[in-house]
Amino acid sequence: MMTKIEREDNSSAKGLQQFFKQLLEMQEIDALFLPVRLNASTSIMPSLVTDPAQLENAVPLSPSFPLNSARMVSRLSYKASGRKTAVLLRPCETRAFIELIKLKQGSRQELILIGMDCPKALTSSDYAAYAKQAPLADDAYIETVFSDNNDTLNGFEFSSACNTCEHPFPVNTDINILLHGVDLSDGMVVTAETEAGQQVLGRLNLPEATAPARREERIQQIKEGNSTANTAMIEDITDRTDSIVKLNAFFDRCINCYNCRNMCPVCYCKECVFNTDVFHHQPVQYHQWAEKKGSIKLPTDTTFYHLTRMAHMSHACVGCGQCSNACPSDINVFQLFKSVARLTQAAFEYSPGTDENESPPLSVFYEREFENTVGIAREE
Amino acid sequence: MEPFEPVIIAFVCNWCTYTAADLAGTSRLSYPTNIRLIRVMCTGMVDPQYVIKAFLEGADGVLISGCHPGDCHYINGNYKARRRIKLLKEILPRFGIEKDRLRLTWIGASDGIEFAEIMTQINDQIIEMGPSQTRLNKAI
Ligand code: SF4
Ligand code: SF4
Ligand code: FES
Repeated sequence: MMTKIEREDNSSAKGLQQFFKQLLEMQEIDALFLPVRLNASTSIMPSLVTDPAQLENAVPLSPSFPLNSARMVSRLSYKASGRKTAVLLRPCETRAFIELIKLKQGSRQELILIGMDCPKALTSSDYAAYAKQAPLADDAYIETVFSDNNDTLNGFEFSSACNTCEHPFPVNTDINILLHGVDLSDGMVVTAETEAGQQVLGRLNLPEATAPARREERIQQIKEGNSTANTAMIEDITDRTDSIVKLNAFFDRCINCYNCRNMCPVCYCKECVFNTDVFHHQPVQYHQWAEKKGSIKLPTDTTFYHLTRMAHMSHACVGCGQCSNACPSDINVFQLFKSVARLTQAAFEYSPGTDENESPPLSVFYEREFENTVGIAREE
Repeated sequence: MEPFEPVIIAFVCNWCTYTAADLAGTSRLSYPTNIRLIRVMCTGMVDPQYVIKAFLEGADGVLISGCHPGDCHYINGNYKARRRIKLLKEILPRFGIEKDRLRLTWIGASDGIEFAEIMTQINDQIIEMGPSQTRLNKAI
């Protein structure tokens, strides 16, 4: 089913608000989860909205991406609430949420997942500068980012996570909002992808739409461009971190704050081993390390932490870039993790968030597999 | 120059490889003392972080060894170990720790002779590869 979200007073932003308002006014939907501009500020944060009147501050499409909302949607859905919530997510947020569903840390039982062609994002520090200096109006932003020429934004570069994203289009959702290759002056296109989506969308009585003529072409262009950028980025970061010494140098400003872990939507452990007594070393331990090596940097265990995190979660990395965004030391954690994720995901032919029925690689095993991992034949 | 004496950390399963090591000992077979055995209840309990820690602390090689497929006393611990080693063999070489420094073998409880042979071969291989970058740079 393919219908149209019409503009309101020639504005796509208002048309979208109207669409969400109609959704929230439906009997079947109790709440909406989507980005909202907070009162008297430039901050746009994911919010749970129950009053349709408050949707006038909703900003469904913007360059603000302060956190990956998969974790928030997990909070809203890990147990039944007795409420039906429609949730608007970026594609990398949906993919991360699907990973959390696999781990029983979320459920789509009471949710209607709404996806969208990704409106890209600035890093949080760039967004703050952009919002201060030269923000586009919401409509101008939509026109810009869904035009054919959307490489920069008023002189700001989009986040490298977005520029290298290989899946900036919605999957695994109930309803999709399509924007690439759409003639926005004629409204936006919204599709139902599941039966649940069909039921909701059917009730809204929106005018029918035809498939946006140029969308496939745009998807191809974006995929190719991003994939080329991704390969270049991975080559560069691999070159800069291809030994443990170089890796230590890459993290030499790391203060072990663990923000990168806390904001990673797929770092799934309830309690991280790096927060346990295992890493609460005895004073004498530090002295012994220092004596062995002549000196030791504190806090310790930095490279150890990052390598362990890679081993635990890189198979599920969705490449959202939020680890870099959260780092107070301005370390590009995302680039490193994405380069490792490419290897571990290929090894297990795993594509996080694309198929709800695909089991995470470390949760399954078979009798006959990876047999050349065993034994002592020389490989190199 | 002094000959290179590698440090090799081996996580061995209590029920199979550790018993094989015991048997090798009581049969008076010798194997290189460079290999330091750490007894674990099952290869399935070897978290990737143990292996990472060993390498970061300067190990030249790491071995995980347990029961043959079908013989694991906890039914499938060795299959889980195999996936984790597969994973580490992707991650560690990315940072210059060569694949062959990390080994997974199945050595049954009665394979005392095989145990001594494999330990000798692994030791020879690591000597041939030379010291690991982490030993040389004392990087933690
Ligand atoms: S490691 Fe970084 S890029 Fe990957 S999912 Fe976690 S926060 Fe996102
Ligand atoms: S967020 Fe940055 S400083 Fe904090 S632990 Fe991660 S890499 Fe280190
Ligand atoms: S008990 Fe030996 S590998 Fe599991």
